[in-house]
Amino acid sequence: METIYYLVLVPMVYGAFVVFGLGSVLRLAALWRRPPQPSTLRIHARRAPGWLGALADSFLLPTVRRHNPLLWVFLMIFHVCLLLLILGHLELFKRFEVLQVIEHQVFLGRGLVGLALTLALLFFLFRRFVSPNRDLSVPEDYYLLILLLLTVLFGSQMDWARSWYGYGELTVEDYRAYLMSLVLLKPQLPSAVTGSGHSFMLVLHVFFANLFLIFFPFSKIMHAFLALPVNKLRRG
Amino acid sequence: MDEKTRQDLLKLFEGKLNQAMRLYLETCSRCGVCTEACHVYASMPQAKYIAAYRAEIVRRIYKKYFKSQGRFWPSLGQSKDLTEMALEELYEAAYSCTGCRRCMVYCPFGIDTQMIMSIAKLLLVGAHAEPEILTMLADTSIAKGESLEIFREGFLAGIKRLEAEVVAKWQSQAGDTVIPVDKQGADLLYVALAGAHSIIPAAAVFNAARENWTLSFFEAVNFGAFVGDPTRTKLILERIVGEAKRLGVKEVCICECGTAFRVMKQLSGPQPFQVSSITQVHARYIREGRIKLDPSKNPEPLTYHDPCQIARNAGVIDEPRYILQHLASDYRELAPEPIYNWCCGGGGGLVALGEETLDFRMKSSRVKAEQVRKTGAKTLCTACENCHTQLSDLNQHYQLGLEVKFLSSMVAEALVP
Amino acid sequence: MSQTIKADKTLDLKGLPCPMPVVKVSKGIKEVQVGQVLMAETSDPGALADFPAWAKTSGNEILDTVQEGNTVKFYIQRKA
Repeated sequence: METIYYLVLVPMVYGAFVVFGLGSVLRLAALWRRPPQPSTLRIHARRAPGWLGALADSFLLPTVRRHNPLLWVFLMIFHVCLLLLILGHLELFKRFEVLQVIEHQVFLGRGLVGLALTLALLFFLFRRFVSPNRDLSVPEDYYLLILLLLTVLFGSQMDWARSWYGYGELTVEDYRAYLMSLVLLKPQLPSAVTGSGHSFMLVLHVFFANLFLIFFPFSKIMHAFLALPVNKLRRG
Repeated sequence: MDEKTRQDLLKLFEGKLNQAMRLYLETCSRCGVCTEACHVYASMPQAKYIAAYRAEIVRRIYKKYFKSQGRFWPSLGQSKDLTEMALEELYEAAYSCTGCRRCMVYCPFGIDTQMIMSIAKLLLVGAHAEPEILTMLADTSIAKGESLEIFREGFLAGIKRLEAEVVAKWQSQAGDTVIPVDKQGADLLYVALAGAHSIIPAAAVFNAARENWTLSFFEAVNFGAFVGDPTRTKLILERIVGEAKRLGVKEVCICECGTAFRVMKQLSGPQPFQVSSITQVHARYIREGRIKLDPSKNPEPLTYHDPCQIARNAGVIDEPRYILQHLASDYRELAPEPIYNWCCGGGGGLVALGEETLDFRMKSSRVKAEQVRKTGAKTLCTACENCHTQLSDLNQHYQLGLEVKFLSSMVAEALVP
Repeated sequence: MSQTIKADKTLDLKGLPCPMPVVKVSKGIKEVQVGQVLMAETSDPGALADFPAWAKTSGNEILDTVQEGNTVKFYIQRKA
């Protein structure tokens, strides 16, 4: 068991980040090596300046808000929560004073962010079971949602245990010791990380997160990088 | 399909994969927001008519041959072999899409389905499975560009006969050249269509505005673009570019043809002349006081259909409305926002395929007919020959009781001497 | 010469919208046998220009063109 924990928590994490980083860079480079479109692909009567408009289109999703408001609400919840969780994970490396505007230990939102994300993911998953979205979906769409759901569920459990039930065996200091050691390339696993009652959750969370990162550059999740340039084409 | 054919087709596919195309193929998250955007889906709700579904038909082949997942995990994105059956699917996807790009207004990423369909169309051309009539039309256009002499005399004689009609109706002064052709040093080259109806009213307006113009030997429409063949598109385009340069004109004015205008405007590259649509030129004449129109000629309620390739896709939106202010007393908007106007349902070569596509064109444009009916207009005008034909068919099929007119003809009819 | 040419099929293509003159003539020619003659009548200058080019690309032959008033009659022989 120890060996499996070690493999997931150390070499697999490094591997996942390498695949994610290298894969994304290579995929993007392959895309930009292609010749540009010689003619405009603009849709007219959108008067905002090109880049500003494309930024608004990418981050505020105005077309979704207009044509599918319910989906828009969940998409906004999902993406904002995702951002908050990424910030929360940074706090697992060290304390950031800027984030302490609202005083908290780690992860803003007292566990509600993970809950909201879970609900949004369930919404995304269930709407794919209904036609015509079902007819549009391919296995990748389901795999990604399920993978994210598993990652978020196991991750949130740890957060919920700590912030709702006062679970104290795995402390923030333990996470920081583990994660900073990874950053400094001197990996070590504090005994609380591998030996506490919630360690299996951590291992599963990290395992699914690793899978997601490995999957990322080869999947539609690349839209995270591509949304802005593709929207720019429409803005001309 | 034998391996050699497949490899040749994949080479064509590869040639289409520029930055923009890759962005469009990689980014779709199949969120389904585009579902309601397509007039075909809105008229006949079947999944195969959803923009993302059409695009996915091309994307599945892309995943198979141009992404590693096609090799290592083909079921992940349901990647698909390029086979005869795949070609049939590509045909259905591409030739039930009019290339109106309304879905692009819905998509959170702004994915251009028309552009993705251009891969399907090119593969069909490569496999000789495209609608052969479109290729025949494109080749006829190219032949005209190669040998002017085979039709020059006949064309000029035909133009002479039209001049009499222009003089009779608009009383141009005798002695003037009513329809100049091949005039060196003209300011404006007007590129018309085959029919006399695209030449006579235009000539009347040019002469009324005292324009120094000349008529092109060639027709504006680009069937190479309809059939999705970049080589043919370019050859057809270059005939007109060559003529404009030879005559030294400052402006090339494209008649009421959406495809012709968009192709000329956006694909001709930097040139010593500017490209305008006849609608823009007419609006300019009114603004500059070069022509005057009598709005009392059109007292009935009237609406205007924005041709997709001219409005949403090339930005000529304000000009027709400006003209109509001077032309009609009861103008009614068809769509509250012009970029959301429904396609007429005849684009992408469907109208050119004639009777063959009539049934589909009528069924797939039910929403268009309803949109027009709702305005209560008695006259429906537009600035695209393709739209005009389709709207006339719709008028008959859905018994809309309208008069379908060309905007340019209405301008000519309302000229105040 | 036209007096001696007998058309096996005739088409009235006056005033049709783009691109119907060429579409109809190209469908019409398939409805006569190889060697037979199709007569297409038009008044549109564009069609006057299109027919010779179409005949060249499709490999058919225009035997004669006859002007009558404002219209022109094309006598086209199906070659293949």
